[in-house]
Amino acid sequence: MSNLSALLQGALTTVEVCALAVILGSVLGVLLAVAFQSGSKLLQFLVRCQVSFARGTPLFIQIMVIYFLLPALGIDIPRFYAGVIALGFNSSAYISEMIRGAILTIPPGQVEAARALALPKRLIWAHITLPQVFALILPPLTVEFAALLKGSALLSVIGLVELTRTAQQVIGYSFAPITTWLQVGLLYFLMCYALAFATRYTQRMTSAYRPREAI
Amino acid sequence: MFDFSVVTFGLPILIGGLFNTILFCTISIVLGLVVGSLIAIGRVSGGSWVRVPAQVFVEIMRNTPLLVQAFLVYFALPQIGLRLSATAAGILVLSLFAAANFSEAIRSGILSVPKGQMEAARAVGMPYFVMMRRIVFAQMLGFVIPALTNQIIGVIKESAALSVITVPEVAMAAQVVVGESFGPIEAYLMVAVLYWLLTGVVAFGMGILERHVTAFRSPPGSGRNTGKTTISLAESHS
Repeated sequence: MSNLSALLQGALTTVEVCALAVILGSVLGVLLAVAFQSGSKLLQFLVRCQVSFARGTPLFIQIMVIYFLLPALGIDIPRFYAGVIALGFNSSAYISEMIRGAILTIPPGQVEAARALALPKRLIWAHITLPQVFALILPPLTVEFAALLKGSALLSVIGLVELTRTAQQVIGYSFAPITTWLQVGLLYFLMCYALAFATRYTQRMTSAYRPREAI
Repeated sequence: MFDFSVVTFGLPILIGGLFNTILFCTISIVLGLVVGSLIAIGRVSGGSWVRVPAQVFVEIMRNTPLLVQAFLVYFALPQIGLRLSATAAGILVLSLFAAANFSEAIRSGILSVPKGQMEAARAVGMPYFVMMRRIVFAQMLGFVIPALTNQIIGVIKESAALSVITVPEVAMAAQVVVGESFGPIEAYLMVAVLYWLLTGVVAFGMGILERHVTAFRSPPGSGRNTGKTTISLAESHS
């Protein structure tokens, strides 16, 4: 039974990495979306490049580039945080796209009204746009979390001892690859499936914020 | 900081790996489309003895990492006497992964075609597979291709993980270049650019295909689609 407890420990690390990555990705995603909406052509071009690169190249390659690039830039941090940065970089592109989509569903009259009342841009973002955006992207954010859980298996390649790496270590002394990989698959499945329920739950919770048919 | 000698040394090796990536992905995508279509048809119109196993298969493939699936097939199956080469195991896993993901896109496409049309086709005696091809698949392509494009690009991106079980594709070629030249940043950045080009070309090509299959459609409101309203009215009466 100690094998299973080792795997559960690994699963905990997987969840920790992904949770931090979603937070980092959300912060970066908001910055990217705000930069895109700023109206500056240069910023829009840079955001487009980041989104296209992060979505058009494999997560595996992004992990490798970031893992080797950070020390070359003089940033010496543990593997755990290199993993968080790699996953956060990847998900920021997806999250910024979600935010852009959500902004489009907010009636433009709200921002126009706020501008007419001379509310500063900063406060329009903080009090009108972003709170609604947050409610709108909560369900797709849980989907992104599930995608990161699956993607985080690739962090085993840079030696981060998460669920997949733990499984390799367990197989090293238990010599039971079939049982171990089936257990690992089951753990990933349960985590992703739980998130599918979270998606449905958040969809119901935030349905008031979604536009109805024919406004 | 950026060492261009790694580029001149590594690029031929990486291009060779890229051709393997394209080959393996093409095989997996074609197999995935065939198996995925069968799964989608089974889930829409099969009995529960088809629907339940198909759904279980799709849920398992979509909710576990490709890497774990690859490890299970390549390292665990030899224990029960099923020994596959790395390439065969990689293509098998990638094809099943593609089939599960494609089947969801195709299934929603089938469901997007009004049910009355299928019933009408069956009522005039059209055989099931003729009906599927001429009525359902012909109409759903414009609906399915955008979703399918994302899934196909997803398969290409996921294929990079197969280098971990030593499938000789472009990410594996990068490891060879790194081992010879000690320039991991240069090597992996080159691979990233190659993938970027590949997925860009695929997205562009699928965009052309989408315009091609939706060209026959009349613009909304021009009156040619009025048949649809009649059908939905007829359905609401039944």
